[in-house]
Amino acid sequence: MVATYAQRHGLKPLGAGIGLRRSFYEELPRTERPLDWVEIIPENFLSLGGRPQRTLDACAERWPVLPHGVGLDIGGPDALDGDYVNRLAALVARVDAPFFSDHLCYSRLDGVYLHDLLPLPFTEAAVEHVVPRVREVIARVGRPFLLENPSYYARMPGGTLPEADFLRHVVEEADCGLLLDVNNVYVNALNHGYDARAFVDALPLERVVQVHLAGHTRYPDVIIDTHGDRVCDDVWSLYQYVLERTGPVATLIEWDQDIPSLEAVLDEADVARAALRKVAER
Amino acid sequence: MKPGLKHFFDSMGAYFARPGAQSLDALYSEHPGWDAPRGRVSVYGDFVRGHVRGVLEKIFPLVRKVVGAEAWDALVEGYTLTRPARHHELNHLAEGFPAFVADAAPSRGLAAFVPALARFEWTDFAVFASEAPPERVERLTANPTLAVLEHPYRLCAYVRAQGALPEPEAGEELALLWRHPEHLVTYYVEATPPALLVLKMAVEGLAVADVAAATGMPEAELRGAVERFTRDGLVLAPGGSGD
Repeated sequence: MVATYAQRHGLKPLGAGIGLRRSFYEELPRTERPLDWVEIIPENFLSLGGRPQRTLDACAERWPVLPHGVGLDIGGPDALDGDYVNRLAALVARVDAPFFSDHLCYSRLDGVYLHDLLPLPFTEAAVEHVVPRVREVIARVGRPFLLENPSYYARMPGGTLPEADFLRHVVEEADCGLLLDVNNVYVNALNHGYDARAFVDALPLERVVQVHLAGHTRYPDVIIDTHGDRVCDDVWSLYQYVLERTGPVATLIEWDQDIPSLEAVLDEADVARAALRKVAER
Repeated sequence: MKPGLKHFFDSMGAYFARPGAQSLDALYSEHPGWDAPRGRVSVYGDFVRGHVRGVLEKIFPLVRKVVGAEAWDALVEGYTLTRPARHHELNHLAEGFPAFVADAAPSRGLAAFVPALARFEWTDFAVFASEAPPERVERLTANPTLAVLEHPYRLCAYVRAQGALPEPEAGEELALLWRHPEHLVTYYVEATPPALLVLKMAVEGLAVADVAAATGMPEAELRGAVERFTRDGLVLAPGGSGD
């Protein structure tokens, strides 16, 4: 039996976590509710001092902290931002993160940060472009690295590969892990008219180390991955489908818009934890 | 990078430089046969523009209120076209906005105090987010996050009123802004002689007794000022703020 990416890197399932968001800075470090780990957006901590740093330190004393970036620009045409990567490496070391992650996308053009997760064309050329950049990041940060399957609302021109094949080629050739965002799979499946379960089956699931769950917003012509609502029943069902194939993996409840009370987000994490426990007991 | 991928990025870069119907037409003309719905592609243009607006509206609420909706939209539009996001941290894109406002103010007929207000609001944020680490100090020390602004308006009182005043009073002001070491929020005051004296003591390492002798101030009064400004975090003392 082939070892999974997690096994090869000694990564254990971490349980259910939530994101450290500004509205939780006071309350989260003091919560007495069950919580297994905390995810941070590193850009909020790389160059901002004061309250974010104090909150991060308080969280890192209690839980594993996983940096999940939005600004690495792993697929972009510009050279990797050396200052960013150096700061990221320092942050990953400071919180002693077992791994870190970002998105398979681009976010910078001509030196301008677009501050969005922009889809790449699903092409061999893009694979060839991204793979050495992933390897460079892993070498410079020195910890296991995961790439997330992003949501996308339009297929970019010139695509030649199915989306799942594109993901597979990148993570296998770069030898990184996969952060499987189940809500993104669901949103993409609906927006582009494919079967979400068949898509999951086509992924290199042995590389999944972490899962994201989130809510989305339905508009007449498109579903947007807003992270602004509870996880819907269909996504919970798809999550269960994934867990049955991967076994327990660290699972995050993402909530970034219309953020409710901490208690409400922790309630969602409890649901994920129960699902993880059920799968682990099998 | 393969030429086809470079062409893709070049075409997207042209679109994001000025997202709109015309640049979307140009983008599609670069990729004949691309059948993605146009509304789906323009979502990304809207997102990218929206990030700039969102940050500006978060950091400059008073400028926005003062100039009114139409002038604000024009400022945001003009600033967005300068492609200000050159840093990986989103809020940094607002750093150049006060200078942009200062350049634009005369031609757009903005009130004369608006550029100073924009500078004040940016400084408020920059102090709040300063990377200056919290310090354990051996002796009285000026707060490392301290910023000093000089302008011909009473902006401290105006900002404290949160837009309730029609405009700031005229008058030279030296404003001190710093992050409180415990509460981690920005404090700001108009510099007063006691505040400047305590800062001078901190910067030059002057003892209370020596300053009292030199200025003729009662020592107890001077110690009281040091304690007050230490509690407020303007200066840091070895014993902390005493909160």
